[in-house]
Amino acid sequence: MSAHGASADGAQVGQLARFSVSPARRRKDRLARASILAATTVALIPLVLIVYYLMRKGLGSWSESFFTTDPTGNTFFGGSNIGGVKSAILGTIEIVALASAIAVPVGIGVAVWLVEYGRNSWFAHTVRFFVDVLTGVPSIVFGLFVYIVLVVGTGSTYAGYKGSIALSLLMLPVVIRSAEVVLLLVPAALRESALALGAPRWRVIFNIVLPTALPGMITGVLLAIARAAGETAPLLFTAAYTHETNFNLGAFMNSLPVQIYNDVTSPTTAVVNRAWGAALTLVTLILLLNLIARLIARRSRLA
Amino acid sequence: MTPDGSTPQVADMDPESRSELARQEQSSTDPSPETTSRRITGAAGGSALASSGTAPVPANGDAGVAAKRGVGVALEQLRAFYGDSEQVKGIDLEFRANEVTAIIGPSGCGKSTMIRCINRMHEEIPGARAEGRVLLDDLDLYDPAVDVVAVRRAIGMVFQKPNPFPTMSIYDNVAAGLRLSAGRRGDVRAKVESALRSAGLWDEVADRLTEPGAGLSGGQQQRLCIARSLAVDPEVLLMDEPCSALDPIATLRIEELIEQLKARVTIVIVTHNMQQAARVADRTAFMLDGRLVEIGPTQEIFTKPVDPRTEEYVTGKFG
Repeated sequence: MSAHGASADGAQVGQLARFSVSPARRRKDRLARASILAATTVALIPLVLIVYYLMRKGLGSWSESFFTTDPTGNTFFGGSNIGGVKSAILGTIEIVALASAIAVPVGIGVAVWLVEYGRNSWFAHTVRFFVDVLTGVPSIVFGLFVYIVLVVGTGSTYAGYKGSIALSLLMLPVVIRSAEVVLLLVPAALRESALALGAPRWRVIFNIVLPTALPGMITGVLLAIARAAGETAPLLFTAAYTHETNFNLGAFMNSLPVQIYNDVTSPTTAVVNRAWGAALTLVTLILLLNLIARLIARRSRLA
Repeated sequence: MTPDGSTPQVADMDPESRSELARQEQSSTDPSPETTSRRITGAAGGSALASSGTAPVPANGDAGVAAKRGVGVALEQLRAFYGDSEQVKGIDLEFRANEVTAIIGPSGCGKSTMIRCINRMHEEIPGARAEGRVLLDDLDLYDPAVDVVAVRRAIGMVFQKPNPFPTMSIYDNVAAGLRLSAGRRGDVRAKVESALRSAGLWDEVADRLTEPGAGLSGGQQQRLCIARSLAVDPEVLLMDEPCSALDPIATLRIEELIEQLKARVTIVIVTHNMQQAARVADRTAFMLDGRLVEIGPTQEIFTKPVDPRTEEYVTGKFG
């Protein structure tokens, strides 16, 4: 550079001016960045507040006995033993497990059919349309449907498995849609080369397509489970509410969301606090599921 | 899928399949046309194996492979459609046994579509269909009695981009063709080794067979795909621009491999690279707009073609 002397330096300054950012553009850039940051902060405030409130109110009622005892009905006198959320945690796990056992195989089956066989046929389009409609149906409608068909319709009463059916209806469209997206990501070249090896189509699906899509499908399934686990409305008049821990899905069954719903309306402060503790438990469970889903998604070969 | 490549024991079989195995041993040493057609239709001899789409499994994998010879393929008035648009417009062409035939021609002239008709992969595309006859020896592969799965086991295919199965190890990739089909597999381990040796990959991967196939280099992946096709013991190998995604050195390896493989299989290779055709092919066919313009010994196609359009293409005037 120095070899060219002063005249070359002058030319370089001229070049710099040509490529430098004008002050007006700098101002606009700063303004745009600031407004995006402000929007992010505004969105974060309620999120942080919710977590903060949950921790502050919920952690207080957490104790070992909170997780190991069933809630009791003795709530009218201060100092009476109100119990914990054992039956609610176990009930939620049982109901959601049965719901997943129904929704996951059916949902993945539908997704495989849509991607591998239905493709662009009119029937496949019809199925996709109804799946989309189902996604938008409010959860209480599923509860109502099961209540009318399985509770009123059969002239019987509430039961855990009826809650599972309502939740599985809710999970179904989520499972179908997420599995379909992942299956579509499996490269067509893999199917082709497996077919070209002389593999029958069903073997291509079971041995090539599904294993390749597996991590992504697990993520979708876990997210669907997380969503179902937090639902109150479908369980209110299907699985109902009870105090006792119960392993019979044919009987009334407690669940975390429903217990929160019941406890929060109580006039007794200790019971309201129990609701906060249950809420924190529920959020923690769902957070764990989400974390697992993310870890699996990170290992996905398609991402 | 079995977790290991277990060999079915003869003692486990019922008497009927034991006698069937004996018949296969005889037929595997006899590469007559009759064997091939029986293998694909299952009509002659009424072999339950053939109708379920399984290749005869020689008791000794290696010996069976070595005895194998390629089989000629002939196209008769082959036409291929995507919906209403005709991409291959009536081609008569013969691929001679144990020769390398190159297909050259400009993009979109129907080269790939044509070879995809040979192993009936064309019909996998929604709305696509083919007319005319494709003869493997004397057997029409489009005959209604023909099992499409068996066709694809007799006619292997290597694609443009190397595509090993991402969930599988190197070993499992090669064994995939054996395991993905119904029926008995024979000695999977021996067949995998033999296929990897034939594909010139054995020395590079022998000590890491359990590592994922996707971890290999591009050229190695493509040779893995060739090994995968060879493992099911095809008579014909279709290669659809197998080197277009590879660097020159990897390309050279594949070309050497093609030279070695033609003793064992009939090879049809689609290529955009005319030098490649000149290097590997015994005969070269030039296609234009869905039609065959000319086919002849490679030397002649490139030095004194009969058709002026061929001359214009090979001298680089268009395409």
